[in-house]
Amino acid sequence: MKVNVLRQQSPVSKPYWETFEYDGSADNSVAGALDYINYHDDIVNAEGKRSTRIGWECSCMQGICGACAMVINGRPALACETFVRDFKGKDIEIRPLRKFPVIHDLVVDRTSIHENLKQANVCIGEYNPAENEEHAHQYAIGKCLKCGLCLEVCPNYVNGNTFFGAAFANDCYLVASRNRTEDKRIRRIYAEHFGKTCSKSLSCMEVCPMKIPTLASMAKLNRNKTRRYG
Amino acid sequence: MKHALIIGSGISGMVCAVRCAQLGVHVTMVSPFPSERSQSVMAAGGINAVLSGEEAGDSVACHIEDTLKGGCELGGKNAVKGLCEHGGEILHWLESIGTVFSVDEKGRPLRRAFGGQSHKRTYYCGASTGKQIVSALVMEVRRFEAAGLIERRLWCCFHSALIRDGICYGAMLFDEAHGGLEAVCADALVIATGGQNALFGKTTGSTQCDGYAAGKLFMQGAELKNLEFIQYHPTTMETPQKRMLISEAVRGEGGRLFQRRDGQNVYFMEDKYGPGGNLMTRDIVSREIDALGGMVYLDISFLDRTVIDERLPEVRDICAKYGGIDVSREPIPVMPSVHFFMGGLAVGLKHETNIHNLFAVGECASMYHGANRIGGNSLLAAIYSGNVAADEIAGRSGCRFHPDFEGDLEREKKLLARNMDTQSQFPVMYIRDMLAETMQKRLGIVRSGENLEQGLADIDYYLSIAERIRYDSSVMPYFNYSLTAILTLARATITCALSRRESRGAHYRSDFPQTEEAYQSATIIAYDGGGYNVRFDREQSYES
Repeated sequence: MKVNVLRQQSPVSKPYWETFEYDGSADNSVAGALDYINYHDDIVNAEGKRSTRIGWECSCMQGICGACAMVINGRPALACETFVRDFKGKDIEIRPLRKFPVIHDLVVDRTSIHENLKQANVCIGEYNPAENEEHAHQYAIGKCLKCGLCLEVCPNYVNGNTFFGAAFANDCYLVASRNRTEDKRIRRIYAEHFGKTCSKSLSCMEVCPMKIPTLASMAKLNRNKTRRYG
Repeated sequence: MKHALIIGSGISGMVCAVRCAQLGVHVTMVSPFPSERSQSVMAAGGINAVLSGEEAGDSVACHIEDTLKGGCELGGKNAVKGLCEHGGEILHWLESIGTVFSVDEKGRPLRRAFGGQSHKRTYYCGASTGKQIVSALVMEVRRFEAAGLIERRLWCCFHSALIRDGICYGAMLFDEAHGGLEAVCADALVIATGGQNALFGKTTGSTQCDGYAAGKLFMQGAELKNLEFIQYHPTTMETPQKRMLISEAVRGEGGRLFQRRDGQNVYFMEDKYGPGGNLMTRDIVSREIDALGGMVYLDISFLDRTVIDERLPEVRDICAKYGGIDVSREPIPVMPSVHFFMGGLAVGLKHETNIHNLFAVGECASMYHGANRIGGNSLLAAIYSGNVAADEIAGRSGCRFHPDFEGDLEREKKLLARNMDTQSQFPVMYIRDMLAETMQKRLGIVRSGENLEQGLADIDYYLSIAERIRYDSSVMPYFNYSLTAILTLARATITCALSRRESRGAHYRSDFPQTEEAYQSATIIAYDGGGYNVRFDREQSYES
């Protein structure tokens, strides 16, 4: 089968498509397939011409670090948990996430996720939780990979300049639920950078590899101030 | 203001950064990728501590005893005492920064049994304890970033330490984003780069942990310790892309190991070691599985479905996703795989190496685990070591004088430019792959002198190639300039394994199967212009 990759040698160079043949196991993930193409043999493209190794980011190879987020056949997903067999022999098209600057090939710069949380000072600080904490929801949010898939698919997220997206909203809930004294401030910045702009398409929840219930975070943060979490 | 340069942003690096910042030390934390990508997120099972309300009969003394016994008496005794005594304090601190521990209906943290422990003392967050701790720490680090006390440097890799006359003054860094080398001076350099996975290719851990920093520092004069003790985790699942860790939490919750023989399930660990057989230490279980040969299974299908869903959801999901296995109906095929490195940079009680102002914390440092680490102690050691190093750094007076490293920087820049100025397609990654093959074959669960000698010869050949080639321009410069140090670390590891002519913990020699009292001390290896000098630390020089 053919694997088409949207490549870009550097942040300032022009992107181009290149096709590779993949003859490895169908039980491999797309991440495994990229690894196979890169190091199985001399790297040649489908035209038989020598090529360079495909740049992509990986760490855990088991869906818990978020490094390999990319767009696979039009769907934003983690490459390490998207399996070749699911494409039933059809060609695979891979491109980098579009909402972030490309560094090299499929490697993108997602620092804006972290920078926005830092700029808004979304931190617990003093631990002062509500009496009845919702551990299951907090646990789900604690699993956020900061992979950027929720932002890639979000119709409201453009470049992170003003609207910060689901990853931001969930961390806001975590802080507000664990430090009651931050409640007012967090609600304000949540409204400013998420609440007032979100059109509630909820595509972020569909695409989230950790299945984080962002809608529940939104409901709790939009709730009347006099009612507390839990 | 004093300045600490921390290489690595996993749990130990972040803890060290936070503590430094709390104590008024300015921190630069360097890593190519954000903390969410660190290997720390893969720590699954839990963290050990003895808190008030502990299991009847448990105590800090029991935890110390279990740790030393699990490490076959090679763990640093004074250090282990400090580690275990601080377990409770660390647990409370983790909770205070927002770590979401699993709790009972009254909000009390839950604990589970782990291998090699006399009592249930492993606290956990489902089966993603490391990830939950990382999430909380990222938030805590962010607080100090916003206050200007911690600065993160992403897209940046360690190149070498700035050392003059046995004192470290910072590090040379390679900035992938700008493609250049720079020298960053600091009052202390802290290495927090994790284990040496790349020596073995694909392990249970992260592809990011390669041991380069330890190898390079070794070549620059830092001593390494106990490299031969490599933990094979007994229960991993083979998939086309890697060996997936099946957490010890599965056996902690009651999982049973068996092998099918003549249509019967033979519970070999229970048959040999009694009802607690499945929770023997990892070295013993791995060796038993290795000796059996053939397929071994881990079964939890008999557990209540709610136990699986509530306590082991990540294990359930990994087995379904990567193995097509429904753990509530069928057993998991498992095999041992390289998982953790007890050895690493030799450090004293304050986590300083033999080079002044050069510290190492977390898995890349060797101190607590001796010849075998017991489950639940790695997260504890990562946090404790980060704190200890930070306290020491904050308590010292800063460097008043920094030597001039401009000449060194220019020399390294020229060398890098010369090696990069090539159209060579010589695949540096192939050498890494060949190294992994050699290490898997020669440094397995059971070793022999003959096999290890062959491993040395193979690595010498790879080293001779590495010294001659120019760089492969189609991979990141880091993968190129790191090669020689990784090969050197591999050679040091095999040299240590050859020198220890006994069997102990994770190091089993078929030609020397007995544990010998004469070897009851740490292996220390030093590099001297191409020479690999091994000594056994009978004077316990790193115990102070």
